[in-house]
Amino acid sequence: MKRFKEKDGFKKHILIVDDEFANREILGNIFNGVYEVTYAEDGEQAMEILGERPYDFSLILLDLLMPKMDGFTVIKLCKENELLKRIPIIVMTSEKDAEIESIKLGAIDFITKPYDMPEVILARTERIIEFAEDKNIIQATEKDSLTGLYTKEYFLRYISQIEHYAPETKMDAVVLNIDHFHLINEIYGRDFGDEVLVLVANELLDMIEQKKGGLASRINADIFYVYLEHKGIYGYNVLERINKQIYERTSTHNIRVRLGVYPDVDKSVQPEMWYDRAVIACNRIREDYTRNVAYYDNSLYERAIYEEKLIRDFYTAVSEKQLMVYFQPKYNITGEKPRLSSAEALIRWKHPELGMISPGDFVPLFEGNGLIQQLDNYVWEEAARQIKEWKDKYGVTIPVSVNVSRIDIYDPKLFDKLTNLIEKYGLTTNEYMLEITESAYSDNVNELIEVVNKLRGRGFKIELDDFGSGYSSLNMLTTLPIDVLKMDMKFIRNMLVDYKNLKLVEIILDIARLLKVPVIAEGVEEEKQYQTLRDRGCDVIQGYYFSKPLPAAEFNLLIEKDLKENQ
Amino acid sequence: MLTIDALKEFGANVDEGLARCMNNEALYLRLAGTVVDEKNFDRLKDALSANNLDEAFEAAHALKGALGNLAITPVYEKVVEITELLRARTDMDYTALEAEIEGKREELRKLL
Repeated sequence: MKRFKEKDGFKKHILIVDDEFANREILGNIFNGVYEVTYAEDGEQAMEILGERPYDFSLILLDLLMPKMDGFTVIKLCKENELLKRIPIIVMTSEKDAEIESIKLGAIDFITKPYDMPEVILARTERIIEFAEDKNIIQATEKDSLTGLYTKEYFLRYISQIEHYAPETKMDAVVLNIDHFHLINEIYGRDFGDEVLVLVANELLDMIEQKKGGLASRINADIFYVYLEHKGIYGYNVLERINKQIYERTSTHNIRVRLGVYPDVDKSVQPEMWYDRAVIACNRIREDYTRNVAYYDNSLYERAIYEEKLIRDFYTAVSEKQLMVYFQPKYNITGEKPRLSSAEALIRWKHPELGMISPGDFVPLFEGNGLIQQLDNYVWEEAARQIKEWKDKYGVTIPVSVNVSRIDIYDPKLFDKLTNLIEKYGLTTNEYMLEITESAYSDNVNELIEVVNKLRGRGFKIELDDFGSGYSSLNMLTTLPIDVLKMDMKFIRNMLVDYKNLKLVEIILDIARLLKVPVIAEGVEEEKQYQTLRDRGCDVIQGYYFSKPLPAAEFNLLIEKDLKENQ
Repeated sequence: MLTIDALKEFGANVDEGLARCMNNEALYLRLAGTVVDEKNFDRLKDALSANNLDEAFEAAHALKGALGNLAITPVYEKVVEITELLRARTDMDYTALEAEIEGKREELRKLL
């Protein structure tokens, strides 16, 4: 494998296309030793070989008059093909007219028959290959000037050469991606960004060096492809070294490096497909900070297809009202007995083919591609409309909290959208709560605080969602502009099993008291959990213990019940 | 067994043919030996008897290329002659010329 590492180790390939055995043999004898020679007996065979190995050849030597498919057709087909048009074609002919015709079609030169002396032919082909490569280099260079890794085009070309020499070797396709790389450039400057890229490139070179061969390429900004011999488990060492160095310079865990691995690639499909698969694996752990390496398997592929469908069907879902807003009641437990106090708006998708789709399936997906913003806007409107309906019907306000996703924060129209909604349905900001997940706070704190302050200035109440799951420092808590703490449901789920979790629940309640904000406990399912929380001074409870999320019509019954019991 | 001397005597431009084979005598003799059985000889014969001048031209043209590269001059010269006539689709009786080519081919075969 060592010899694949450097371009100089490669022999260039040429394809000789001639129907005459003697001619092929004479040329083969001239070129063998200098080039790697492949033969085709007619145009059809030539196109077949080129189709299978489009990156391999540096030159085509082409006879014109051949059975099945003639040389003119081969030239035409090559020049029309994106991958093949870069390959210079030398025509071999004894006809003056044909020379002109083939040059017109795009052949670069011709060799007359009977052939010139071998030295002449060799010198001519060599010059033409060099000339063509120089010309191609203007369009595509072999190495990325910053990192010294191969560019994508050459990377793919050399993969096909490795495959030619060692088709039996098991190989892995690996994608490396840097999370939030644009932030590195923006916050720490381009120079530092470049430094990180070089650092990553060097680690990758080390990785393939240890595997004695393989190829590495920088595909674009912060995406790297590696092709190397198959191995079982992927390099926590490499990732740890990279991540550690980045962390040392930036002090943030948000910028980290992920690997997607497509192990033991299926050689019956094109290399581009291998990397599509590695990318699918890599994207799977985009939000999962506990894993830095992901492996492709078929379920990932099916998952990707499924996600594609959800994305495609989103607009129909909105227009056909397949997306429904459910309301999960929250109960205030500070008094004698629990009272219905408010609700959280939750989205449900009743898909005509797939049935009920869990929000866990599509919310993270839409968060990833930006559709979440439209989904949120839809929920906001439905929630506002529902609050108004309950006011009109029962004369009471059930405040509803809606989710404000990270991406909404950066929407310059956020403030206007929300205030317009309030006004449209004649609500006050006290009746409409905004939930912002804790992890959004660690992203770009200053901008977020600014947006939140503006909303609070207008009277909106902010609930800090999933508190305890993110990365807020205790110090940051004191400056956070929030009105309610919503404890992450993991604490509740584990607090009766694990004493440490219970202790954390108590600490969070203490923090809330210090901040003088109420605490909502989510995911309360059992009586014992409810009692425990109540005993420790938790204010509001949400969860299956009281009720699952309900469609508005069923929620009405809860309101009626609460009104009747508390008249 | 075909030899360089025999080919020389036959009238082949051995120096030229050998040079194209980068003076690899074994290769040159092997190719000169196999060209006798070139399928295009038969293709030419059949096309001419069927009066299919297009196909005859293609076959002759292919032969011309191979024979020229090997510099088997006696056969080559006859094939060049018929190729040019066929290129112009000359309407004539090719029997004599064809027989001459076959004659030279037989002479070559005897050297094997």
